[in-house]
Amino acid sequence: MSEITIEGVRHLYKPARGKPVLALDDVSLEIAPREFIALLGPSGCGKSTLLYMIGGFLPVETGSIRVNGKKVEGPGPERGIVFQHFALFPWKTVKQNVLYGLERQALQRGEREARAQTFIDMVGLSGFEDAYPSQLSGGMKQRAAIARTLAIDPRILLMDEPFGALDAQTRHLMQDELLGIWRRSPKTVIFVTHDVQEAVYLAGRVAVMSARPGKIMDIVDIGLDKSDPDLQRSKAFADKVDQLWRLVRDEAIKAQQGRRPL
Amino acid sequence: MAGMSAPDTDTPGLAARIGHGLARWSLVIGLLLLWDILARSGSFTPFMLPSPESVAQRIWRDASNGDLPINMGLTLYRALTGFLIAALLGVGTGLLITRSAAAAWFFDPIISVGFPMPKITFLPVIVLWLGFYDTAKISMVVFDAIFPAITGTIVGIRAVEKELLWSARNLGAKEREMLWQILLPAASPQIMTGLQVSLPIALIVAIVAEMLMGGYGIGGAMQQASSMADSRGVFAGIVEIAVVGWVLVKGMSLLRRRLLMWHPEAEAPSGV
Repeated sequence: MSEITIEGVRHLYKPARGKPVLALDDVSLEIAPREFIALLGPSGCGKSTLLYMIGGFLPVETGSIRVNGKKVEGPGPERGIVFQHFALFPWKTVKQNVLYGLERQALQRGEREARAQTFIDMVGLSGFEDAYPSQLSGGMKQRAAIARTLAIDPRILLMDEPFGALDAQTRHLMQDELLGIWRRSPKTVIFVTHDVQEAVYLAGRVAVMSARPGKIMDIVDIGLDKSDPDLQRSKAFADKVDQLWRLVRDEAIKAQQGRRPL
Repeated sequence: MAGMSAPDTDTPGLAARIGHGLARWSLVIGLLLLWDILARSGSFTPFMLPSPESVAQRIWRDASNGDLPINMGLTLYRALTGFLIAALLGVGTGLLITRSAAAAWFFDPIISVGFPMPKITFLPVIVLWLGFYDTAKISMVVFDAIFPAITGTIVGIRAVEKELLWSARNLGAKEREMLWQILLPAASPQIMTGLQVSLPIALIVAIVAEMLMGGYGIGGAMQQASSMADSRGVFAGIVEIAVVGWVLVKGMSLLRRRLLMWHPEAEAPSGV
């Protein structure tokens, strides 16, 4: 049985000025418990919009999104989100950020502190508990944001291009760490990206989305052994990347052409 | 992965620090010297330009006979009370405007008209309604100092990223917790900037109102000194205001640095 069921979702984006834009059209998708799925598509295709709707941050006006049979009607701690630009509370230290969600749960003080420390250690930020976000590098900020989200123990992890703002080396390290975390404590991960390699490297399935209005064009099973250290140099990996790139390419071109000057 | 940037640990020597401080204050020291030279040159009578020394003696006399503490205390009381009321009302109004489209619609004209208007033009009306005493003077201060507090709050709240609010909701924050826990702290740098503009305005308006309405206070004392041809008294007032203004602005920027320790630009804008 699927954990998340998306049926016939449409989303009309209404900017403050100008005509409404159809961002998503008739999107349906089933996501199984503990699967790692990537939403891949050109920028502006509505993949983040879909993620925000699953998170309950944007209303579902047409169609429905159900999580474990229950209609999504707002944000909930069982669906943790990680944003591209971290969205850490800049006036709180790393530890205070991680504690924020824990303070809203029925936990003893000592338990909260211990739990926060566990996740800070897990993402490799030991020693930076009292640092403010402005004192951290981009990679460290994203580690802190991931720790903050994991600390509330969500069953589902929504990730909105979480490594998109990081440099290439940091991104690689973070991808490996995310896979490690996912393997140790399996969660359902929905990972939005426009990077084909990243999608193939991380996900078990990739939903390829079209240029605006966003639709799901194809769902590709990756079926690669993620524990293989030479995965990224293997022929099978290159073939998958190539297959997905062909699917995405035309859409990316369409997305570019759709961007006319106003 | 880059580590935390190490704090700048080289401390310059004592001589270098004194030299640095002197250079920074050179314009102020230069003006004081120029004042002294002109006063001694004989081109001005002591009535037109009393010497810095005689003005200092006058300040010392007023300080020891109790005139200065009373006048200064009253001016500061009016300026700071007005500033605090303006800060509370201004931040409150700013919040209301950002939280409700109806409030924005309602307040926008009065702010657009009121902000650029010289509020001192209302002084005769204020005098008619409220008289010459503290209520009238403090009202003038509030009326003038409130606008930067309002606009600072509006700018700050509007700049809060939706991802920050979404994160808080995702982590379990309730709607009624958002204001104090997320919106206000996130907007605090701009709110603080607004208040850093409001504070000197409050001092300026308190003194101008005292000058125009009379009574005790630095402004009133200067006005009285002027009408009695007491030029040392007038110059003493100018020096006292300069010192108080400097202390207030410095205090405010220290407060900013403390409150906004987390902010990468915690020190800006020290000049405002």
